[in-house]
Amino acid sequence: MSIIEINKLNKFYDEATHALKDVDLTIKEGEFLILLGLSGSGKSTLLRCLNRLIEPTSGGITFLGKDVVTASPTDLKSIRSDIAMIFQQFNLVKNLTVLTNVLTGSLSKHTFFSRWTKEEKETALKNLKRVGLQDYAYRKVRNLSGGQQQRVAIARALMQKPKLILADEPVASLDPATADSVMNYLGTLNREDGITVVCSLHFLSLARKYGTRVVALKDGKIKFSGTPNEIDDAKFKEIYGEDAEEVEIR
Amino acid sequence: MAKNKKVHSKQRFITNILDYSISLYIGTTIAFLYNYWSETTINPWLVFGLSTLLYLILIFIPNTPGKSLYTEKESRIKFFSQVYHYIYSALIALTIVVGWIMVEISPVEFFTGMDGTRNIVRGLFTPDKTIFWRMVSELIKTIYLALMATIFAVPIAFLLSFLAASNLMNKTWLGRTVYAVIRTISTIIRSIEAIVWAIIFAVWVGIGPFAGMLALMIHSIAALVKLYSEQIENIDQGPVEAITSTGASTLQVWRYAVIPQIINPFLAFTIYRWDINVRMATIVGFVGGGGIGLQLFQKQQMTDWNGVGTIVWLIALAVWIMDMVSAEIRKKLLSN
Repeated sequence: MSIIEINKLNKFYDEATHALKDVDLTIKEGEFLILLGLSGSGKSTLLRCLNRLIEPTSGGITFLGKDVVTASPTDLKSIRSDIAMIFQQFNLVKNLTVLTNVLTGSLSKHTFFSRWTKEEKETALKNLKRVGLQDYAYRKVRNLSGGQQQRVAIARALMQKPKLILADEPVASLDPATADSVMNYLGTLNREDGITVVCSLHFLSLARKYGTRVVALKDGKIKFSGTPNEIDDAKFKEIYGEDAEEVEIR
Repeated sequence: MAKNKKVHSKQRFITNILDYSISLYIGTTIAFLYNYWSETTINPWLVFGLSTLLYLILIFIPNTPGKSLYTEKESRIKFFSQVYHYIYSALIALTIVVGWIMVEISPVEFFTGMDGTRNIVRGLFTPDKTIFWRMVSELIKTIYLALMATIFAVPIAFLLSFLAASNLMNKTWLGRTVYAVIRTISTIIRSIEAIVWAIIFAVWVGIGPFAGMLALMIHSIAALVKLYSEQIENIDQGPVEAITSTGASTLQVWRYAVIPQIINPFLAFTIYRWDINVRMATIVGFVGGGGIGLQLFQKQQMTDWNGVGTIVWLIALAVWIMDMVSAEIRKKLLSN
């Protein structure tokens, strides 16, 4: 069963900047899909089109059978509430506590004036416990390290009870060891909770370790789609250019 | 080639404009001096004609200020190589002479007219102690006046600042219009001095602290809208994106992603504004805004210099304390 179907998706930022060129892609439920590609290849644009943080120029996207591109503002909010997003710069509200940041994941169930319920707070604490940060609930986010902040972001994503997680280079600002631990949390969510993950990455080693499928973008077009092990030296050079050398991180 | 020619004609245009402006300026300043010393009035057309004549002479001289903009060093004719230096020196000298006369600068008065101020200076240094407590109460009234103006201005400015922040409003045509209208009105209000607003409101609601408060309030709203909205424009867009992606509404995004980022700078600006308002409240009092400013105005009208002394020292003390306290609080707020 497919969770996302992308059909001839195009994005122009302006006449000269054609970020996505006729992208066709089907993402199946339960996949851990890795997006590879150079900076500027269209990975972030593609991810952001899926929940319409960026408006696509043309083409179709369906999420669990619902049309994303033409969705009304109300429908769009309900679609977004099922799709959690994780960012390279964590994008937490630094002046708020860890707990409040996690709770913002359930905003779609609230009106402007309603308050967090007791159950939501308990769920938030439980989600923090899952990422090993239960002792940090009442700290300000600014005092946390990068790896801790990204784990808070994962807890916020869990709060949405998402069917799909979009991760935009979630480990690009982290050191290798922390990067692996953050990817490990995403892998656990994928396997244990059955949440589909679409994650853009720069490191092939992490793609091999966690990905069930790899899609490579080059200049806004899909260049490769297959299992991580199918990417050999020739494929790698095709994606990243002739001069590229694979850098291992362990 | 065609492009070169175009640049060339543009250069010639600038050269001539500069030389002609300089000729006109020299002509009019000399005419001003002639009028001043001979106490007659020259026909403006004569000045215009003579200036044009000067310009026509300059055309035949190399290295005038205009020509020096584009000439190479090598091509300068030696004898005239300093011409533009002479002309610039003449311009500076003429300007200083004309300015001196226009501003009626008089060093003799400055050094001999001190006697008249003796009473004032003596008054300032022997303040009238009998009115001390009454003036303290007027000063407190002024501080409250400034505080009320700030308190009423803050919520209005707060709401308006969101509508005046381009990063929140540039998404739709309606948004851009609202943004432009609010920014324009607030610029106009700010450019009118608080003292003018005080005169308007003194007529409107009568002389007294209420008029002063209204004057400071309207000025504070305009100033705070600018400061607040610029702060909103400088926020980190990341959290906005993240909260939007959870399916939150626009108002929820403002509440959870925008406001937490701006609350401390907003408080800092507000305290700074109160500090400014205390200083402005004194001036506003002069024209009917009440409080200690009005007392200062009355004492000065009655040439009661000892009374003026009491008031001036009290104001200085209040401003000094406000200044220090507000600087300290702002530092604390903005450091985390």
